[in-house]
Amino acid sequence: MYGKGLRPLSIATVVMFAISLSLVFFYAPIEADQGFLQKIFYLHVPLAIVSLCGFVVGGIFAILHLRRDEPRWDAYSYVAIHISVIFAVGGLITGSIWAKGSWGHWWVWNEPTLVSFLIVFLLYATYYPFRYAIEDRQRQARYASVFAIAAGAFVPLNFLAVRMSESLVHPRVFATAGGGLPGSMMLVFLCSIVSMALLWTTLVKFELSAKSAQGQLKRLRRALDAPTGPPTSRIAPEVQ
Amino acid sequence: MTALFGWIVAAPDIPNDVGGKYVAGAYIVFVVLLLIYVAIMGMKLARIERGLREVAELAEARKDEAAVAETARAEVKS
Repeated sequence: MYGKGLRPLSIATVVMFAISLSLVFFYAPIEADQGFLQKIFYLHVPLAIVSLCGFVVGGIFAILHLRRDEPRWDAYSYVAIHISVIFAVGGLITGSIWAKGSWGHWWVWNEPTLVSFLIVFLLYATYYPFRYAIEDRQRQARYASVFAIAAGAFVPLNFLAVRMSESLVHPRVFATAGGGLPGSMMLVFLCSIVSMALLWTTLVKFELSAKSAQGQLKRLRRALDAPTGPPTSRIAPEVQ
Repeated sequence: MTALFGWIVAAPDIPNDVGGKYVAGAYIVFVVLLLIYVAIMGMKLARIERGLREVAELAEARKDEAAVAETARAEVKS
């Protein structure tokens, strides 16, 4: 069920990535100030944006779980947050590399954008031990949903707070009218965002499909009265 | 194919300065992260496949047992 449409989605992701990477390296102009180093922008910013959007999506799925009381929404929320955390790790590492090349430091503590992103990441890093700490599956799902909603609401608030604060270091690419990017760079950036969003969706579907297979297998074992095999992760919800 | 090759050859080289090194590093990190994820998912899928094989073998064994029992019952009746 969850694997439906996974193949075309995967192909679309690969094609879109090939297009966006070609555009990044062969079409996008070299930025006057940072030079070739600015190419990290097309990787780092989409990773960060897609991960933040993924956290919000996880919160929306959690709302649906609490409203409809269907376990699959909890699984959606869990997987959305899980993949977003991986993207956030990528965003943090690539951002750090960019900072080192651009500013000469791996990390700058007085930069609100960086610190706020780290706070969001650390907040979501606590999601796993939080889930893991609760034994009862139903309570676990409910509490995790409440966490996902609260943290998901924190993400846009955090973004607004950073926007309102003054920054002298971190580039504000969308601060000025017209986005602050020339047309060619904006096109490449949008392609990168689309390809990253496609990758996120593919991975979410892939993970859900694997979880569904795991759930079906468990059901089969139960039906056959077979030993359930090695215990699987307690934190990850199963999809039936 | 020739056009694509020509396009790649005509494209500017990755500058061999500090910027190029960091850009390569960032993109490699991204690819490595993806590969780690795919490897973990691959292991997970292998485990599921193993489980499915066990369940299928168990189902086959049950089916054979049932067939043997049915034959024995038929023999007793006759």
